[in-house]
Amino acid sequence: MEYAKGLLDEIGLGGERLEMYLLSSAEGARFAEIATEMTERIRALGPSPLRDGSSAETTKE
Amino acid sequence: MIVGEQKPLDEIKAMIADYEKVLVVGCGTCVTVCFAGGEKEVGILVSSLRMATKLDGQNKEIIEATVQRQCEHEYNEEVAERIKEADVILSLACGIGVQTLTEQFPEKLTLPGLNTTFLGQPMEQGVWSERCQACGDCVLAFTGGICPIARCSKSLLNGPCGGSQKGKCEIDPNIDCAWQLIYDRLKALDNLDLMLQIKPVKDWSTSRDGGPRHIIREDLRLEATS
Repeated sequence: MEYAKGLLDEIGLGGERLEMYLLSSAEGARFAEIATEMTERIRALGPSPLRDGSSAETTKE
Repeated sequence: MIVGEQKPLDEIKAMIADYEKVLVVGCGTCVTVCFAGGEKEVGILVSSLRMATKLDGQNKEIIEATVQRQCEHEYNEEVAERIKEADVILSLACGIGVQTLTEQFPEKLTLPGLNTTFLGQPMEQGVWSERCQACGDCVLAFTGGICPIARCSKSLLNGPCGGSQKGKCEIDPNIDCAWQLIYDRLKALDNLDLMLQIKPVKDWSTSRDGGPRHIIREDLRLEATS
């Protein structure tokens, strides 16, 4: 996880776009909380800098 | 095995800055086992470079291939056509692989994507340690199988120096004193007499000091050449 975040930082995309949470299937409320938290974080960061529509193939990666 | 580490992405980006079509070539042997330059690492690097160079506003085509053993011509022939198409080759093999591609495909520049670090062994998942310096005149028979050339910071041959502290080397408390290891090993083998045999000054001409080395095995050659 740390490695993948480091890679995203090195690339210039930002490691904070990626997160991993551990929770069980019984924790519905926590799942919703996490989904909200990540949605807010990504909204605050804005769209991926790669998402300019010029290369759909690259953005898939 | 030969152990290597991938160069920082910024250094790799700078190396390929002037080229449009880059072929990243991995190696399926040592650097695959040490997670530095195998098929998986090639894939990650290629994706990283595609994204990073795009973010930098460059328009590059970055393609990939991995051969079984980059230090042998016959394996590299498999990617000869792809090499022809590329503007530059970025090798994720050790320095031997880089130079093999250089000699085999002299019309193309081959760049090193790894730093070749040492000859060593995996200690645990994610940890490698140097074990051999390829000195060309193995002394392991006299040292209980522990190499004082590679593992003693001073490559001493007749016991430890004054910097041996509680079994550790003075240059780093995380490095074992090779001669402490050798003593403990010979004691366990009931062979401490070997410690008393004075080793003469080592002939380093079999090592790098003798210049670049070659081995010629006439019994193996397909035709005699001078």
